[in-house]
Amino acid sequence: MPDRNLHRQLKEIIIAELNLEDIKPETLADDDPLFGDEGLGLDSLDAVELVVLIQKHFGVEIKDMEEGREALTSINALAEFITARKSESEGS
Amino acid sequence: MNLQTDKPWSSRSVGAPWQHRFFYHLIRRGGRRPAYLFLYPVVLYYLCCRPELRRRTGPYLKRRFPAHGRLAGCRDAFRLLLSFSRSLVDRALVGLLGPQSLNTEFPRHDELKTAAAAGRGLIILTSHVGCWQAAMVYLSLLRRPVHLLVEQEAGNIDRHYFELTGRENPFRFINPAGFLGGALEMTCALKNGEIVCVMGDRRQGNREKHLTLDFLSAPVKFPAAAWKLAAVTGAPVAILFPLKNGPDRYRIELADIMQLNPDQARPLNRLRPAMAGYVKALENISQKEPYQFFNFYDMWETDA
Repeated sequence: MPDRNLHRQLKEIIIAELNLEDIKPETLADDDPLFGDEGLGLDSLDAVELVVLIQKHFGVEIKDMEEGREALTSINALAEFITARKSESEGS
Repeated sequence: MNLQTDKPWSSRSVGAPWQHRFFYHLIRRGGRRPAYLFLYPVVLYYLCCRPELRRRTGPYLKRRFPAHGRLAGCRDAFRLLLSFSRSLVDRALVGLLGPQSLNTEFPRHDELKTAAAAGRGLIILTSHVGCWQAAMVYLSLLRRPVHLLVEQEAGNIDRHYFELTGRENPFRFINPAGFLGGALEMTCALKNGEIVCVMGDRRQGNREKHLTLDFLSAPVKFPAAAWKLAAVTGAPVAILFPLKNGPDRYRIELADIMQLNPDQARPLNRLRPAMAGYVKALENISQKEPYQFFNFYDMWETDA
């Protein structure tokens, strides 16, 4: 189960690094869509940066589109993905 | 999020399936020469009897040759359409008769190989100039998986050269109308040290992020995705133009290899100097080889 601090951390990193000046972490719900016209409203070019940010801050790599499609739906999905990948690497 | 499909251009062939089969038959039986010969009446037919096609050459030709009157304009349209048709024959030639059917020289190939071998991935920025599909043959020599960002329009009967070979496609397609516009696939490919080919002169839809730069003295919206990818991933951008320089000869010009910095990724306007370099190279090509520029739509049209 992801640590709730991870959710907060993800929001802060995404907002700061993608320069989303009008958005505060507390206004972003954990299950809001990250992409598209609803939710956070990120676009495909933001996805490029997001993949790199996740690797930079959490040491976790999104390897292909299938992983990305699941992980990048919402903050919840991203947090679960990161937690699962970290557990796998700690267990191996 | 899906890519907008509200593009002002189409890559669909204007020819009927039987016309394509006719030319494939000619090529198989006689090679390039008979196919080229038959292009003359075909192009004349389209020029005289399909005015909507001739109109599609207008936006570019009027800006490239602003002083040309009606007669010279007709001649320009003929030359442009003939040149384009020949590039299609050349593409089919390579697929049907093999890469050896065209003599392709690539003087700076070693520089491209070095860039590809560095392990940071490589973005090859092509344009609708010359016969870019035939130039793809060279990319197999880079010994890295190559991904092409290409939308396959429904009902398009044009065949890429590798589809005519009957062999397995050496390249992997990324669909720009797919999940996040293919951005994730491109990013993952580059992070794996692989090669991504993107067209630098056409947006995939009106919502695609772009920067406006002057091309032939008027503003055009050029897509920013490849440049953003380069800045974020650290992959260099190689600008290639495969130009026809003889009946059966191509020369691949490597205009530049650019390395962008992460701080150019945001805001988008920081990509301007790099993109301006590409647009300048494209303009040089249109000056040098005006009849090898194949964007048959109004690039300068402003969106509603």
